[in-house]
Amino acid sequence: MALSATRGANGSNASGSSTVAQRLQKELMDIMMNPTAGITAFPDDENMMCWTATILGPDSTPYESLIFKLSMEFGATYPYEPPTVVFKTPIYHPNVDMSGRICLDILKDKWSAGLSVLSVLLSLQSLLGEPNNASPLNGQAAEFWDTDPAAFKRHVLARHKAPEELDA
Amino acid sequence: MSEEELAQFQKLSNEYSADQNTTGPYVGERQSSSAIATEYANADRVYQIKTAALPSQYAYFRTCRGDGHCGWRALAFTYYEALLRVGDVNKLEEEEARLQSMHNLLNQVGFQEHVYIDFAEEVYMLLQKLAQSLRSMDGNAENILLETFNDYGTAMGIITFFKLLASAWMQCHPNDFQPFLEYPLKTYCSDNIEASQAELDHLAIGAISNAVTKPAGFAIHVLYLDRSEGTSIDTHRFEPVDQNGMSITNGITMRLLYRPGHYDILYKAEDVPAPIQQQPVPAQAPLQVALAAGYAEEFVPRSNNMTDIMTMIPGLSYTGLSQQWPSVSYDYDPSPAPQPQLQPVPTYAPAPTPAAPVASSHQEYVTPVHASHVGHAQSHHPLRLETPITLPIHNSRPPPPMAIDCPAPPVTIEKGGPFRPSMYELEPGFGSGQLHHLPFQTSIFRNSHYNTAHYLNPDFQPEEWSPDSEYATGNRGRLKSTSQ
Repeated sequence: MALSATRGANGSNASGSSTVAQRLQKELMDIMMNPTAGITAFPDDENMMCWTATILGPDSTPYESLIFKLSMEFGATYPYEPPTVVFKTPIYHPNVDMSGRICLDILKDKWSAGLSVLSVLLSLQSLLGEPNNASPLNGQAAEFWDTDPAAFKRHVLARHKAPEELDA
Repeated sequence: MSEEELAQFQKLSNEYSADQNTTGPYVGERQSSSAIATEYANADRVYQIKTAALPSQYAYFRTCRGDGHCGWRALAFTYYEALLRVGDVNKLEEEEARLQSMHNLLNQVGFQEHVYIDFAEEVYMLLQKLAQSLRSMDGNAENILLETFNDYGTAMGIITFFKLLASAWMQCHPNDFQPFLEYPLKTYCSDNIEASQAELDHLAIGAISNAVTKPAGFAIHVLYLDRSEGTSIDTHRFEPVDQNGMSITNGITMRLLYRPGHYDILYKAEDVPAPIQQQPVPAQAPLQVALAAGYAEEFVPRSNNMTDIMTMIPGLSYTGLSQQWPSVSYDYDPSPAPQPQLQPVPTYAPAPTPAAPVASSHQEYVTPVHASHVGHAQSHHPLRLETPITLPIHNSRPPPPMAIDCPAPPVTIEKGGPFRPSMYELEPGFGSGQLHHLPFQTSIFRNSHYNTAHYLNPDFQPEEWSPDSEYATGNRGRLKSTSQ
């Protein structure tokens, strides 16, 4: 019998969002000083707590040369709690649902304070090429991935929108 | 399971989440461990038996909030606490240097420095704060530690650094850890050690003890309070050992109490220092060192200090002192500290009539001295200092001019502490950072002819052999045997 225990950030008196902002500032510096191919990330405004990122679909996957936009929200307990990451570009993927929510262990219970914006985006990029079909959010996509790559690719392309269309 | 039982379990479950463990301070105050036995008084019999004996062995405990980080928090907290028990500023600095030297382990397993440096700095910041507190002897170190661990952000930073260090250590010593695991060490570390939600486990304690606490000379004891058979609580020990497997602790043990899913901190009575009446001790180094431990290198007596002290001896006066207490200057100090700036006044000036009361704290203890008094004080007070002081002194400087009408040097007001005429009155823990060994304990001194036990010493007194006393018992025995 599993007893439900509450844990986590509820009401934790974090030492303020200023230290969170400092940490994010450093991460931003790191991303700008060492640009990574196929990945961008930048804060939406000066308070640093919401970022917009893009990842480029990896080569030789159904997502090849497609650009995906994501939003990242950081709480006051970052980096001790994971950021909330959501796909803004509609995506057809076994581990992403129709509203862009992602099922990825490092964004949930396997989150570590040693991870960063960059490592999250790199993990998401590799998730595009290597979905975890054991626990899909989109069952149909998981099935097509395993059985019918052509149909899978069609669905990916049908669902995808270029960033320009997205903003319009 | 019936509906009722289920409802009962659900009720317990609901109450559990509202339990004090998930609220309250992240690390609590130290309290009597009889509270644990009381808590289990109505529990399962195994628990009752096991906890009943606890308070007699472990006098105190400290709670940690059960928010999923209690184990790591308890481990990190007790590590700092163990360092405080060493009570040596040098130890704290040594540990900082040692932990910094382990950054290469973190780099080696691929942690990015710009990510972990924030956590590392929280660790070092606390070490520095504690060192600062020990140095100033403000008695505040324990409070600083407790406050720091009750600040969520700082404590999480410290915890995270220890997690990353444990993970790096495990990955750099795969032979010590992989045999316990069914899947790759790297995965284990990222899922069960580094993950923010991962609670302390046995392997992690092993890693931290090898990486951090054993080299520091600390043992870790984890007491497992569970429902297993037996009447006592099992203890798992992580102790520093030498190459022969002999335990080589420096006598300091970090004790954790583990109950399934939760860690608290335990103490034996002797782990806890007796409450010390801490009051700030002024840093009047030169004089106290001279009284307590001979001559320190930088000993530069300051005539104004001397005078202040001497005036606290009833019957002594400034004028009496000024002629009889020459400027004590140990000439091996090539650059003596600048003399206090006193107005040069005629040394033998008769005390101005009447002695102008000087506005300084020590004057309260001195009965006003009249000019007529002064002469008598010199001639008949038992504490006269007329005999020339035969220290290795070159009286190179003229006796320091001292004047009653000179306002007391500000230094005495600033330091303001009570004068302690004897080393036996120093506060416990005074000068804990420094060694106060008397030179007589060194082997060099023991073998030198300055030692009165040495035959070349002019005061050498050979030990006299008194056969009667030495063989008193032996003789009796022999007498008995011969008389038979």
